[in-house]
Amino acid sequence: MAKTEAMSAIVGLGMSDLSREYTHTSWQLAVIAIHRAIKDAGLNKDDIDGLLINKSPVASLSSLPMDLQDYAGLKDLRLNNVVEAEGSSGVQMVQQATMAVQSGLASTIVCVFADAPIQPGISTQTAFGMPLPLMGKTGIEAPTALYGPVAAYGLGARRYMHKYGYTEDHLGAVAVSQRQWALKSPLAMMKKPLTMEDHHNSPYVVEPFHLFDCSFPVNGAVAVIVTSAERAKDMPTPPVYVHGMGQGHRGVTNRRGFEPEVNVGAKLAGERAFEMAGVTPADIDVAEFYDAFSYCTLLQLELYGFVPEGGAGEFVADGQIAPGGSFPTNTGGGQLSGYYLQGGTPLSEGVMQTRGNSGERQVKNDLVLSAAYGGRMQFHACMITSPHYTL
Amino acid sequence: MFDIENSQGWPMPVLDDLNRPLFDGMKEGKVMVQKCDDCGTWLAPSAFICEACGSENVPWVEASGKGELYTYVVYHRAYAPEFESMVPYNVALIELEEGPRLLANIIGIDNKDLKIGMALKPVFREVAPGLPLLHFEPA
Repeated sequence: MAKTEAMSAIVGLGMSDLSREYTHTSWQLAVIAIHRAIKDAGLNKDDIDGLLINKSPVASLSSLPMDLQDYAGLKDLRLNNVVEAEGSSGVQMVQQATMAVQSGLASTIVCVFADAPIQPGISTQTAFGMPLPLMGKTGIEAPTALYGPVAAYGLGARRYMHKYGYTEDHLGAVAVSQRQWALKSPLAMMKKPLTMEDHHNSPYVVEPFHLFDCSFPVNGAVAVIVTSAERAKDMPTPPVYVHGMGQGHRGVTNRRGFEPEVNVGAKLAGERAFEMAGVTPADIDVAEFYDAFSYCTLLQLELYGFVPEGGAGEFVADGQIAPGGSFPTNTGGGQLSGYYLQGGTPLSEGVMQTRGNSGERQVKNDLVLSAAYGGRMQFHACMITSPHYTL
Repeated sequence: MFDIENSQGWPMPVLDDLNRPLFDGMKEGKVMVQKCDDCGTWLAPSAFICEACGSENVPWVEASGKGELYTYVVYHRAYAPEFESMVPYNVALIELEEGPRLLANIIGIDNKDLKIGMALKPVFREVAPGLPLLHFEPA
């Protein structure tokens, strides 16, 4: 392993309470998470000189505006920006903060995701259920009745399952494995054990997805504080050193010879991050993925190189990502059984695992991969973190 | 299976200069796609440029309409009131023999019998006044 020193460090983590009921606006949740992160880092709000904001791509601009600085009482910032790369933004914020710290643009940057899809009279199905621009500019989605992300992902899942001969048993194995992790996490929303039979007996939402193939959206916020790796050594929390990061955006081509549903940018993102950290996929101890739907975990296990392409189904069915398995994955239950906060889910769990104080669900954590994607798995960003300053 | 007669209205496509030929073609019973005049690449609608070579010459041309099932989903719940009577219904991506893929519903077949790779042909059904929407059925 080549010697690499950390590029930056995450020294604070703050989360609002997570809820299936409407209690606060997005910006209020963000303010709560920001100040909890500042307190966690042992800092004062006046130590913060940078703010990066990530809102849900389906939320209005006004739900989490640039005014967040003032709502949170942050003064004299040297960096203030909305990061808009859909679901990948959770990790992209840390990447941008790292570059800002390295360049000297700012020194102590809070990155926050917040969302409140559940509103009085608005279910999560309504909040996320509009026609999706799957084909680009044609406007044909609405008249074909293609509404909501479940079907848009379902088209990808069906193609992916066809390619490798995966069945609903393989999807179910992801849901069952992640539920086992959720039972160990005090933050997870899903608290009942889940069997394969429970998975198969749950109603179809959009086939091939049963209810338990779908993530569990909540209202909530996640904030982290990024500073220099050197400074992190003197901070009160166990430093989460950032050693590698990458992005991958392959583009969607809807014609023969291309398989945009399967060949997504995770591979590009991973290759760059591994190279930067001077490690290989085999060195990684645990992965935290954006898993809006069960098959997303399978596909990312393959494209990040943890199993051969076409090998994830058997790997997961064999219990290898579950507690006690060879490659712990989505150790907070992921978005299926933990909480769906877009990129905030892998970001928060990746930080907690790297800190090493995750209680019953803590696993070996020398190298942690946290990955987030946006769109219909179109936009990927990942990072490799470690409790060690030098690898 | 679709039950057009019992549906409660229909969401109309948002037409603009880029996609209008696709829907105008449906009114004449044609499957319209685009083809680059410079490099010959067949393109899925709606293309502003040729994403293979960057050319701005991407005229609309009629495709044969023959194709095969690339992937599909089956809705078991309705995301809008107008679709409630159709559940369960499918939405599919169809790969035309020329290469481009189109989004459409498949009729004339039980959802359980849908198979990736099956041969399909176009059929036009008026889902709303003035919208003879392109569907596909087994060839």
